[in-house]
Amino acid sequence: MTPVRPYVPRPGERSAPAPQFPQSRRRRVKVWWREVDRVLLFLVLALMTVGAISVAAASPASARRLSGTAQLPDLYFFWLHLRWQMLGVLVLLGTSLMPRELVRRGSILLSGAMIFAMLLVPMIGTEVNGARRWLDLGIRFQPSEFLKPAFAVACAWVLSWRARDSELPVIPLSAIFVGTVVVLLMIQPNLGDAILFVGCWFVLVVLAGLPMQRVGVLFGVGVGGLALAYTFYDNARHRIDSFLGGGTAFDQVDLASRTLMAGGWTGSGLWLGTRKMILPEAHTDYIFSVIGEEFGLLTCALVVLIYLAIVVRVLVRLVDEDNLFILLAATGLTALFGGQAFVNILVNLQLFPSKGLTLPLVSYGGSSTIAQCFLVGLLLAITRRNPYLSREKFDWRGAIEISPLGRADGEVRR
Amino acid sequence: MNAYAISAPQAPGRVHLVDIRRKALLLAQLRVLLIGAVFLALAAAALLRIAYLGVVQPAPSQRSMADALLPPRGEITDRNGVPLARAFPAYALWFNPTAMDDGGPPLVQSAKTVAHRLREIFPDLDEAEIARKLASGKSGYLRRRILPEDANKVMALGELALELPRETDRHYPQGSMAAHVLGYVDEDGKGHVGMESALNDQLLDPARRGTPVALSIDARVQGALEDELRRGMLSVNAVGAAGIVLDVDTGEVLALASLPEFDPNKVDKDSQKYIFNKVTNQVYELGSTFKPLAVAAAIDAGTVTDLSRRYSAAPIHIGGFTIKDSHPLGATLNVPETLIHSSNIVTAHIVDDLGAARLKQVMADLGFNERPYIELPARGFPIWASGEWPRLRAMTVGYGHGIAVTPLHLATAYAAMVNGGIWRPATLHKIEPGQANRGRRVFKASTSARMNQLLRMIALYGTGRKADAPGFRVGGKTGSAEKPGAGGYNRTSLVSTFAAAFPMDKPRYVVISMMDEPKGTVASSFQRTAAYTAAPVIARLVPRIGPILGVMPDDSRDIDLTDLKPLIGSEE
Repeated sequence: MTPVRPYVPRPGERSAPAPQFPQSRRRRVKVWWREVDRVLLFLVLALMTVGAISVAAASPASARRLSGTAQLPDLYFFWLHLRWQMLGVLVLLGTSLMPRELVRRGSILLSGAMIFAMLLVPMIGTEVNGARRWLDLGIRFQPSEFLKPAFAVACAWVLSWRARDSELPVIPLSAIFVGTVVVLLMIQPNLGDAILFVGCWFVLVVLAGLPMQRVGVLFGVGVGGLALAYTFYDNARHRIDSFLGGGTAFDQVDLASRTLMAGGWTGSGLWLGTRKMILPEAHTDYIFSVIGEEFGLLTCALVVLIYLAIVVRVLVRLVDEDNLFILLAATGLTALFGGQAFVNILVNLQLFPSKGLTLPLVSYGGSSTIAQCFLVGLLLAITRRNPYLSREKFDWRGAIEISPLGRADGEVRR
Repeated sequence: MNAYAISAPQAPGRVHLVDIRRKALLLAQLRVLLIGAVFLALAAAALLRIAYLGVVQPAPSQRSMADALLPPRGEITDRNGVPLARAFPAYALWFNPTAMDDGGPPLVQSAKTVAHRLREIFPDLDEAEIARKLASGKSGYLRRRILPEDANKVMALGELALELPRETDRHYPQGSMAAHVLGYVDEDGKGHVGMESALNDQLLDPARRGTPVALSIDARVQGALEDELRRGMLSVNAVGAAGIVLDVDTGEVLALASLPEFDPNKVDKDSQKYIFNKVTNQVYELGSTFKPLAVAAAIDAGTVTDLSRRYSAAPIHIGGFTIKDSHPLGATLNVPETLIHSSNIVTAHIVDDLGAARLKQVMADLGFNERPYIELPARGFPIWASGEWPRLRAMTVGYGHGIAVTPLHLATAYAAMVNGGIWRPATLHKIEPGQANRGRRVFKASTSARMNQLLRMIALYGTGRKADAPGFRVGGKTGSAEKPGAGGYNRTSLVSTFAAAFPMDKPRYVVISMMDEPKGTVASSFQRTAAYTAAPVIARLVPRIGPILGVMPDDSRDIDLTDLKPLIGSEE
């Protein structure tokens, strides 16, 4: 039985069992448990627990603020959030069980669908707080939330074409893609998400071999774009003005800062905070400040470390990844998740102008919680690895040698 | 050949592609590290900022669960749980000139306008002073203890610089009632004067301040006592009045009042002069109220065995000093007549028979040689002659001169005299049944029983008739002592006291009423003595507090006086 003379079963003999993909659901879950990044899964679930407790802390403040004629119960948002989190965990686990091919194809289809939905938003969207971002199709959802993870995967897919055919202009193609999305977002208007999309795309093209020179140029374009937004976009101007000017007493930023500082190192204790009560958006944008008041600055530092641990865990594992698509997609998803988290944290710490971004997996949110769980599920699905395969170690030498060639890359292609 | 021709151009291309793929991968892997470094930098920035906020900025003092959930200072209630002092969340008006934070003037309107509009909210505000404070540009309190509705009005002025921080203040829901018992809390949260000072540590202790402290005071009795004392004081134009209601079996103070009083809700410069507690801090020569004590000591010692024995009532000349009565009471008097008519001379004879040493011992046993026993911080030290008492000293002490004690001393001594002879320290803490101080025996039970008869006779037939309340079996003794002034006694300014107990068939409560410098008015038949000034207060007070304290008026009951009645036969 050699490759030259393959085994041919004779009548009456059983054929040798062919290696095959596990068919039963039980087997699939077992394989999933071996392959999935369990550290990442644990960190994410820990973060969601922190989120549940924080929303419990912030819920009375927002419930009282948002009560209209009918008084909302103090823990209204907490119970609602728990329900969304249950659903989110199901989405997370379900997504992470998907095979990689399905993830890729699904994301491409989803991004198409969501871009279509965003085209509909200006026409039939619902307006909340002066921004038209939501679609109400039975359940209200924000297409851009679900586009985010799908966009990262689809964009990574486009950029990974280069591994097949180095002649393809993948970077300009992806630029057109992100440009379309940004235009659709600015119509809503939604500057925070637009910056997030551009940031994610920027990370992807840097990974995909954009020469450092152009990275610098793009950075300059980004600053220029912000300057333009500052000039022509009222919302952005107000926020940047208040950030640079230090704001006025008792505006949103000032209230958040007072709330953050009210707990000292160890905090006032659950439900004992008082500053949070006058803080707008306590359960969403400024939940980090509420954590600061009730659980202290030390807990704030812990939350920062959990986010950092998630990001570093994914990126370190990617360093010896040999599939360009996986590398790009996973980094893109991480950049979206970590980027949103750190922008929100820095806004709360007065290091960044107010953006209107929530703290992923911690802030209260319906469709946004689901979307973030979906993102993490995709990340878990893409970074699944057979633990019995050993990998080539990261070639430091080779990497440093080719690194200055980044510019020469194009010439080699020609 | 053909095959070679096709594969030959392919091979370099494939190798080329593999090379590019490897290079792209290596580059991407390297740049993943770069992205990781960026995130590390972001996290480091956030952590440094948190550390900066925690260290450099003034972090608030730590708060504990106890601080948040318990009242900042424990409640004080009376013996029935009626709140006497409680934590009161109020607002303060604080001027913060930097609130606007825009480099401009601190106020939107002019300081004068704001002061005027504040005056409209708080009519007693000094407009000029507030305007000066607002114009000075210095932060500070403009007013404290602001009610929520007034705080809303201030908020409606729209001045950011007028801040309304919440402060927990002390509120005395009964107003000035029991002010001397309670005291007050100053702006630093420290208790002064009364139980607020005595219990300061307990009221602030997180472990204990959750449970209200029950005092022995009964708010209803306290209210009645203050009411009747004030009425008596005003009717005789006295400069002050003091009173106490004491449980004779436990030493619990049910009411304690010193008039004029102050309002602990509003302690200012004017109230400082009223903070002095006349009941526990001021010592008086209490005069004739001492006579029953001297007689009791003599009966107890056995120097008086026959109450019908008649003593000479002629003035005594001793050591260049004459002991005489206010008016002639006849040639001779027996013991009941002595007390009924309040004879200084015969009391001096009785004390002379008893002996100075034994009298001094009894007085010391009654606690007259030390500060009164009570939880309050302000306790006056008696004027107490040390060493061996000469004859004259003993004689004068027998009728309440040459010794000065507080009204509280007198109340505890009377309690010992009527309750069967046991002296107990007075207390302002509520005492559970059976937990009373064991006390010390000063008089025999037989002496106490005899004294109850004599005290009842004074109220029935003697100087204390105006103190009797029908059905309540009041007994007691008057005392009108001249106040010592410059160069001897001042004949026109008296301290009139009535020390009473009720019901005399089974004494439960001692009541003292004292008028400081009463004047002769129509209400007192132009008399200044205790019978016309202090005694009527008792007669009005006992029917008010008796039923509250479980003593019902009953005309069919009284102490048995059949053996003593014949001794004063001339009276009826």
